Amino acid sequence: MHELVVEEFRKYYSSLGTPLLAVREFRQRELAFLQFGEQMMIRHMAFRDEGEMKEYLTFKTPAHVYYSSAYYTRPGDQNMNRKGWTGADLVFDIDADHIPTPCKSDHDTWLCLDCRSKGRGFPPESCPRCGKKRLEAKTWVCEKCLATAKGEILKLMDEYLVPDFGLDLKDIEICFSGHRGYHLHITSKAVKELSNDGRREIADYVRGIGIDFGLQGFRALGKSDPLIGPSIRDRGWRGRVAKALYAYLNSCSLEELAQLLNSKQAANHIFKNKEKMMRGIAESPSWWGGISKEAIEKFNRIAAVAIRDVVCNIDERVTIDTKRLIRYPNSLHGKSGLVARAISYADLESFDPLSDAIAFRGDPIKVYVKDAPRIRLGEEEIGPLRDAEVVVPKAMGIYLLCRGAAEPRL
Amino acid sequence: MSATEDQARYPFLKEASSFVERFSLGLKELADYPGVVSRAMEWASCGLEGQIFITDPKDPETDILAYPLALAFIYGLKKEWAVNRFATSEQKRYDGLLRLEPDEKLARMAKEGFGWELERLHLSVEEKRFDFAMGVREYLDVAPHFHSSEWKLVNRYVQGGRVYIKKSEAARLLSGAVKNKIVKRASEEEIKKFEVPPVFDRQMEGLRAMAAKRGQVYEEGQVMVDLAEARPPCIVAIINDLSAGKSLSHMARFALTAFMINIGKSVDDVLLLFSNVADFDAGKARYQVEHIAGQIGSKTKYSTPKCDVLRSFGLCVNPDRLCEEVWHPLIYYRARLGELKRGKPNA
Repeated sequence: MHELVVEEFRKYYSSLGTPLLAVREFRQRELAFLQFGEQMMIRHMAFRDEGEMKEYLTFKTPAHVYYSSAYYTRPGDQNMNRKGWTGADLVFDIDADHIPTPCKSDHDTWLCLDCRSKGRGFPPESCPRCGKKRLEAKTWVCEKCLATAKGEILKLMDEYLVPDFGLDLKDIEICFSGHRGYHLHITSKAVKELSNDGRREIADYVRGIGIDFGLQGFRALGKSDPLIGPSIRDRGWRGRVAKALYAYLNSCSLEELAQLLNSKQAANHIFKNKEKMMRGIAESPSWWGGISKEAIEKFNRIAAVAIRDVVCNIDERVTIDTKRLIRYPNSLHGKSGLVARAISYADLESFDPLSDAIAFRGDPIKVYVKDAPRIRLGEEEIGPLRDAEVVVPKAMGIYLLCRGAAEPRL
Repeated sequence: MSATEDQARYPFLKEASSFVERFSLGLKELADYPGVVSRAMEWASCGLEGQIFITDPKDPETDILAYPLALAFIYGLKKEWAVNRFATSEQKRYDGLLRLEPDEKLARMAKEGFGWELERLHLSVEEKRFDFAMGVREYLDVAPHFHSSEWKLVNRYVQGGRVYIKKSEAARLLSGAVKNKIVKRASEEEIKKFEVPPVFDRQMEGLRAMAAKRGQVYEEGQVMVDLAEARPPCIVAIINDLSAGKSLSHMARFALTAFMINIGKSVDDVLLLFSNVADFDAGKARYQVEHIAGQIGSKTKYSTPKCDVLRSFGLCVNPDRLCEEVWHPLIYYRARLGELKRGKPNA
């Protein structure tokens, strides 16, 4: 990487207050680093204290800094079996890259490596022209993607972790990932020793995986009698299912229903009665009249679609893993030059990653931009740009350099 | 019921182990009590055979002493499956007993044996009645080992860090916790190094002979035959999808390949299965199958993903009776092979 970037990273770390490097049980964590331009991660590091770590960061200036979600008695041991695992934080990773937002077509492109077909937006699973799956995606983030990711984090905390799991906000650490999303670290003792299996259940819970609507309170009383169902006032998934169905009925179109149920007649029936159904769902106790036993299967299909908006788009692999390496809070992200800022819950609502995670201030720099979409960073907005020489604020320049979209011009 | 009788029935209770300690008997000394030894033998063999041991209400003291010896015999066999099988039979025994206990006693035993806080309540949510609430954390220590979808956390009533359960479910979870404890101890260094004292050579010989007969189902490394009827429902479903021309997820492909390789199929056999797929790429497929078979790359032969993982990927479908007892598709397969050999028709 260009000396300029490395030098700016060094300055950042040398002036960083050590309290900002504090993580819970620092001495039990494995640390890992990736240098600029290197492929191999330097792993199995451990430091006595944050001061020692700061020295390392200033001296070595890594592009990426990670720490283990796990706590070890010997975090520096090279052999994973000898590290002495004693527990791990429960981590949630929300990445805008994995959420198909409409703005993707403004800034993302993909290329089929087989037939050279090109497209904009969220990359398809396979090439629509040749059907092959070797697609290369060029992705960027914008404020809309990041707002969606933040919405997911708030949903995860406000709808799941606090009410359902009874977690205390003081045990939840929130971090901007420094690039495309957010990380949540649950440090409570209650989750520390959870197994992979237990963590998988939690991941499935917030993703709505394996949900069986028959177990959410839907039940036919008799052969042709009306259906009993969950109430909007129920807690947990039951209430969530009731609310999601209410919202879906409220907004769906007849065509959408017909397509989903694969039957015009069934769709007509539900559509005609939907006001009545919604009133019934909202009543206490709820009343799901009008849905006969035969309709349960159809209703399950509607429910499966209705809950799409209430589940959390997390990367489940991160949550399940008990030995994950995660980006270090308040370290710099080598692919953006932004700070993986730790944020309090109170500040999350107003947190703007594209302003509040800026690390570099000072004189503007001149760069040559190969190809970039519209980018906003702080007050500055540029692009779309192609083959252009521009003078930009330092943070923007370093962002473009880190993204590999520009070269410095001195 | 007397307290002593309870200690015989529920050896996980603290009083039961302190009873044994009070006698300050080492395992070796137990050899001097033929009654204890023969009860221990019965207990251990019941476990290996998958039967449920019944404690003797007339002589609980003997059974209290017999339990640690039976457990020692099982650990002494040094076979993972034997420990699993014994633990499963203990789980069933507890399950049957615990669900008959009064609520307060169940809650007290949960607290004493495992530190669980079972909060007694009588809450009705719609048609469902709950008897207890327990911590999500404790619930997740056990429930992921159960297979039907009603045990998935997403299908439970969860609120404020508590999971709401019925009494019968509390009994099942508690008995599951005992099973976990027995299984987990087997991987501790102390138990790995443990050898049964030579005074019990005769008993161990008997148990080893019994295990050898049983072991054919559980032990790996033997040549297996491919018998379509013995395949677990998840694998059957993947094969059906494949022959219906459906496109399979990466995990489904991996699971099927690893399963077939592990029951002794060749790379070419497996490739044949996939050859009907629309986007079949012979070269790439061979590379991947060989990789899973451990012939190239890291040279590790991959095992089939266990039930928990398949469930998470939505690949666990139509679980049957046998599925309830196993935790891995390959164990299902071996067990079903054994059943078929013995002429048991339906899974």
